[in-house]
Amino acid sequence: MLSNRQLKPIFSNKNLTITMKRLSLTFLLIFMVALVTKGQKRYDELTYPKLDNFQKPNVKTFTADNGIKFFLIEDHELPLINVNVNVRAGGVSVPNDKAGLASITGTVIRSGGTKSIPADSLNTLLENNAASMETSVGFSSGSANMNVLKKDFNQLLPVFVDLLTHPAFPKDKIELAKKHQKSAISRRNDQIDQIGHREFNRLIYGKNSAYGRNTEYETINNITREDIVKFHDKNFTGKNLMVGVVGDFDSSAMKKKLKQAFENISAGTKNNLDFPEVEKKNQPSINFINKSDVNQSLVLMGHLGGLRDNPDYAKIQVMNQVLSGGFSGRILQKIRTDLGLAYSPGGQYGMNSFYPGLFYVQVKTKSSTTSEVIDAVKDVITRLQNEPISQKELQDTKDQILNSAVFRYDSYNKVLRQQMSYDYRDLPKDAFQQYIQGVKSTTVKDVQQVAQKYLRPDDLQILVVGNKDEIGDQLQKYGDVNTIDISIPQPGDNNKKVVKGDAAKGKKLLAKMTNAIIDPDVTLNSLTVSGEITQMQMGQSRTISTTMTVNYPNAIEQTIQMGPQSVHLSYKNGKGTMKAGDQERPLPAQMAKSLKNTLNRSFVSIALNAGDLNPQYLGTEKDSGNTYEKLSVNIEGTDVTLLLDPKTYYPEITQYKQFVPSQGKQVTVENDYSDWETNGGVTYPHTQITLIDGNKSAEADYKSHKVNTDQ
Amino acid sequence: MKSHKYIFLTLLLCLFGLTLSPQLNAQSLQDFEKKVTKFTLDNGLTFIVIKRPVAPVVSMVTFADVGSANEPHGHTGIAHIFEHMAFKGTHQIGTKNWQKEKPVLKKEDATYHKWLGEKYSPDPDSTRMKKLWSQFKDLQKKEEQYVKNNEFSQIIERNGGTGLNASTGADQTMFFYSLPENKLELWFSLESDRFKNPVFREFYKEKSVIGEERRRRTESSPIGRLVEEFLAVAYTASPYQHPTIGWNSDITATTIQDTREFYNTYYVPNNLTMAIAGDVNVKEIKKMAKKYFGDIPAAPAPPPVYTKEPKQRGERDFTIQGQSQPILLMGYHTVPEGHPDFQTLQLLASVLSGGRTSILYKRMVDKEETALQVASFNGFPGTKLTPLFATLAVPNRGVSVDTLKATILDEIDKVKNGNITKEELDRARTNARANLIRRLDSNTGIARMLAQAEAQRGDWRTVFTDLQDLQNITVDDLQRVAKKYLTQDNLTVGSIVTKSNKEVANAK
Repeated sequence: MLSNRQLKPIFSNKNLTITMKRLSLTFLLIFMVALVTKGQKRYDELTYPKLDNFQKPNVKTFTADNGIKFFLIEDHELPLINVNVNVRAGGVSVPNDKAGLASITGTVIRSGGTKSIPADSLNTLLENNAASMETSVGFSSGSANMNVLKKDFNQLLPVFVDLLTHPAFPKDKIELAKKHQKSAISRRNDQIDQIGHREFNRLIYGKNSAYGRNTEYETINNITREDIVKFHDKNFTGKNLMVGVVGDFDSSAMKKKLKQAFENISAGTKNNLDFPEVEKKNQPSINFINKSDVNQSLVLMGHLGGLRDNPDYAKIQVMNQVLSGGFSGRILQKIRTDLGLAYSPGGQYGMNSFYPGLFYVQVKTKSSTTSEVIDAVKDVITRLQNEPISQKELQDTKDQILNSAVFRYDSYNKVLRQQMSYDYRDLPKDAFQQYIQGVKSTTVKDVQQVAQKYLRPDDLQILVVGNKDEIGDQLQKYGDVNTIDISIPQPGDNNKKVVKGDAAKGKKLLAKMTNAIIDPDVTLNSLTVSGEITQMQMGQSRTISTTMTVNYPNAIEQTIQMGPQSVHLSYKNGKGTMKAGDQERPLPAQMAKSLKNTLNRSFVSIALNAGDLNPQYLGTEKDSGNTYEKLSVNIEGTDVTLLLDPKTYYPEITQYKQFVPSQGKQVTVENDYSDWETNGGVTYPHTQITLIDGNKSAEADYKSHKVNTDQ
Repeated sequence: MKSHKYIFLTLLLCLFGLTLSPQLNAQSLQDFEKKVTKFTLDNGLTFIVIKRPVAPVVSMVTFADVGSANEPHGHTGIAHIFEHMAFKGTHQIGTKNWQKEKPVLKKEDATYHKWLGEKYSPDPDSTRMKKLWSQFKDLQKKEEQYVKNNEFSQIIERNGGTGLNASTGADQTMFFYSLPENKLELWFSLESDRFKNPVFREFYKEKSVIGEERRRRTESSPIGRLVEEFLAVAYTASPYQHPTIGWNSDITATTIQDTREFYNTYYVPNNLTMAIAGDVNVKEIKKMAKKYFGDIPAAPAPPPVYTKEPKQRGERDFTIQGQSQPILLMGYHTVPEGHPDFQTLQLLASVLSGGRTSILYKRMVDKEETALQVASFNGFPGTKLTPLFATLAVPNRGVSVDTLKATILDEIDKVKNGNITKEELDRARTNARANLIRRLDSNTGIARMLAQAEAQRGDWRTVFTDLQDLQNITVDDLQRVAKKYLTQDNLTVGSIVTKSNKEVANAK
C-alpha cells in the first residue's frame, strides 16, 4: 500500500555518518546534535502526505432459503476463522416478572452443551483444540461466536450449529446459571459505579420499565426450564439470524459449507422486537444513595438522550464531542485540568437505534468537592447553550472526528461487524459516510442550536452515590434530596399479610403452651442443651457434638465439636464471633442473621414473649394421624405456625417460611419435636427433627437440658 | 541485556518436528521475522518496527523499563506521577511563554519544598507554613496564566490520534496511541520533544488529580483495598510491597525536583524501547528515528533494584471486614520471568484455572458450585523481581472464603501428589499457542508485546521462543514447581468478609 506514494523529502544523514566515524567523539557529538536538530520539525511545521487508500475488504453477502443472511470476508493474515452470529432477540421482549430470562438462556445454550455433545465433552473438545464458542443474549440483540484455528473449522462448524439449534438445557446448568445470577445480585451494591449507573438508568427510564427494571431473586426464581426452551425456540430461527465469517478461507468453498451446515434450521418468523415508549421527565431532581465505605462521590447528571435516526444526529455528535470528547472535551478540560477535581470525568449524548439513549455526565470526586463538581458541570452545559463555540474549537472538533474516522474500519473484523450491525438496525449501508458528511457541514450556529434544543440543564436529574457523613449538607441547595433505597428485595417481601384467625382463643392457647413448657414459678434466664446433631446435606450426613447456652432474650454461646476440631460461637444481639483454636473472626452476617431468626422464632422465645404477641387461633389440623390445635404468631414479619398437642399443649410441630441465601428462594422450615423431658421447671424436647421443604435436613439428639446454669 | 538469542532460533528450528502443531510456531515466527525490523541508535535507543499493512493506520508504544519498583524511598508513586506529567507539554507545547513560565515554576517548586520542610520539622511553625502556602498558591495562579491546557493531547486528537493513554506498572511505564499512517512524523516530533524537554507544568494540580485516581482505584473500591493490603502483607522487603499509585504521604512529599531527578536517571535512551506497528515504511522510520531521537545524549544505565525478597517464614493471613461481599486472594512468592520455572508456573496456573476444563473451575464453579469465579495467574504484581503466583476467588452467596481456601489448598495438594495428566498439560500448551496467535491481530497489542519482550527479556523473539520452551515442560515439572513454591510457609492469604448484613450502610 505504500508503493504508489510520493515520499516527501526528509533529511538524510547517511553519508554524514560515514564521514563522522573518523572524527573525534566530542566533535562528533556536537556536530551531530547541530545537524540532526536542524531536520526536526515542530508539530505545526509538519506537512503530511496523502493518506494511503484503504482497500476496504469486499463483503460477500447472500441469503439462504431459510432466511439466514450471511456476510463473508477473507482475511489471510492469521490461520484463524471467526464466526459471528447475530440473533434478533433480546431481554426487551421478556416480561418484568421474569427479568433475567434472556441472559440465562444465552448462558445456558453454551454451558449446557447439546443433546449429542454434553457440556463436559463440549468443553474438552473445544479446549483441546484451543477453540472457543460463546453465546449470550443482551437487551436488544443476541450473539454467538465461534473462534477456531483454521484447521479445526470443518470439524467444529457442525458442533457450533448443533449448539445453536439443539441446546440440551440440562436442569443442573440452569440451576447453576440461576445461582450465578443470584450471586451477582447479592454483589450489586459493592461498587459505586455499578450502583450509580444502574440507579441512574432507573431514574431516567423508570424503575418498572423494561429499560430500568432490575433482575431480582424473585424474577430469577420465576424462570422455568420451559420458559428458556420457548425463548430459545422462538428466537434462534433462520429469519432471526445473521452469520458473519471472517478469516483464512476461500469464499466460494465457505459459502457451500455454510449453506450445508445451516440449511436444516427452520425459517420461523421474524421477531418484531417491541421497544416501549419512554416517559420524558420535565422536572429536575436531586437523588442520593449512601455508601459509607467510600471517600469519593460518584456524580451522575443528565436526562433522556435521543434516537439514531434523528436528522440532527451528526450535529449532536459534534456537540457531544465538544462537551465530552477525550482530552479536548470541555468537561475533562474544566473538571480535571482546570480544577483538579477528578481523574476521568466524562459523558455522552447517547443516541440508540431502537429506543432513546441517555444524556449524562459522570464525575468522581472527593466527598468534600461534590457540590463544586455539580455546579461546574451545570456551568459547562449552560455555557454551551449561551455562547457560540469559537470557529477554532469547531474546526479542532471536526478534525478529531474526521481524522480519526479511518480507525472505524481498521480491521476486517470491524468492517464485518459494522455492516452486520447496520443491517440489524436497518441503517443504510452508507450511514457512516452520511455521518461524516454531516460533521463536515456542521457550523458554529448548528452546535449552539442543537445544544439549546437537546440539552435541558433545567431538567437535570442528579444522582450522587457517596459517603453521607463526609458529604454533609452539600446537596440540600439543589432541592429536596430524594434518598434512594437500594436494599435488595428478598423473595416473599411482597406478601406480608398477617394471618387472621381467632385472637382471643389464640391468646388462651399460647398461655397454655407457655405454662406447659415453663413452670410459672420459674424465671427462665438461660437454657443449656448438649447432645449430638446430625446434618444432612447434598446426600451426605455428618454428626457434630454441641453444647449450647441460650441467654434469653438475645444471646447464644455454642461450642461445636467436629472430630478433633472445636469451634466456639458467641452471639449477642445481631453480632458475634467465631473462634477456632487461637483464631477468632467475626460471625458472617448471614450466619448472625440466621441465628437471630432461629432464636426469635423458637417456641421458647415465643413462650417468653407471649404477652407481647398477638397469636391467632386457626382451628385444628391433622398431621400424620394426629390432631393439633393450630396457632399462628407473627415474629418480625414472619408467620410462625405452632401445632400444639391438644392434651399437653406442647408445640410438637413448628413451621415458618424463610429466605435461604444459598438457594435464593423461600423455603418452608419445619421442626418436629418429641421426647419431652422436664428439668428445673422447663420441659424441652430431646429429639428435634428439622425439615426443609419436606426434606429432612438435621436431627438433634440432646442428652440433657439445664436451666439457669449461669447463675 | 539486549544480546540476541540466535541460539534459541536455531534450537527452535530443530525442535519443530516434535511440537503438537508445529506449523503454528513456524508460521508465526517466520512470518514475523519478515515483518519485524529492529535497530538501535548510537545513544542506545532501540526501535522495533512491525510492518502490518492491513489498514492505513499505525500504533506507537514507548516502553520505559522503569516502574514503581524502581522508586526511591519516600517517593512511592513517582513513576506514575511522571507518567501523568508526560502529558503536560514541553518547552514549546502547552505554554504561552516558556521563558516567563520557567522561573515561576521553579519558584513554585522551591516554595512548596520550603513548606514541606516546615511541615516535617520537629517543631513546625504554623504561621510560617500558612505564609508559605499562600505564597505557593499565588505562584500556582501566576503559572496558570502561561499554560495552554492539554495542548499536547489536543494536537494528537486533532490529527486523528486514538487510544491516547499511558500506563504505569511495577516494572514498566508505557505511553501509547495510534495515528493515521501519514501522520507518523507527528509522533516522532511530539514523542521526542516530550521525552527530551519535559516541563512538569501544573505539577501540583495534577497531584490532586492523582489523589482522585487513588480514591477511585483503591480507597473507594473493595478489590482495590484488598490488593493494596495484600501486597503490603505479602512482601517484607521487595519494592513490590508498595502500591504503584503510591502512598498518600509520599505523593504529598514529592516535588518537581524529585520527579526531574527520577526522570534524569531512568528516562535515558538505553532504558527506552519504541515499537511502531502498522502500515509503515521502515526506511523512512529509520531516518526519522535518527533525526528526532539521535540527539539525545547517551547516559549510564539506570541502577538495578538491589533489594531481594527474603524467604518467608510462615503463612500470613489477614481479613478486611468490609461492607461488601466476600473475596479471597492467595499468593505464593515465585521467580522472575526468565527463570526456567516461570513458564512452568504459567502453565500450572492455566491447568488450574484456565477455561472450563481447568481443575479449579470444574470443581468450584461447576461441580460444588461454591465459586462465582476463580482465577490463578503467575507474575503479580510484576515479573522482574519476585512475583507472586496468585489465585483470586469469588464465592457464591452463602459460601465462606474459608471454604474456598480449603478447596484451593486441597487441589494444590493433589497437584503436589502428581495428579495432573498429560492431557491437561497439552491442552494448556495448545491454548498458550493459540492465545499468542490471537494477540497478533492488533497493532497496539503487537507493539506492546514486542516492546516489552525486547526491553525486559533482551529480544522480541522471546514472545515466540517462550512457546517453544513450553514444549519441554513435563507433568513432573508441574509437580516439582508446585512442591517447591506452593508451600504453606510461602503463602499469603487475604480476604474481605462482610461486616454487616445491610446491603449498603444506612440504605433506606
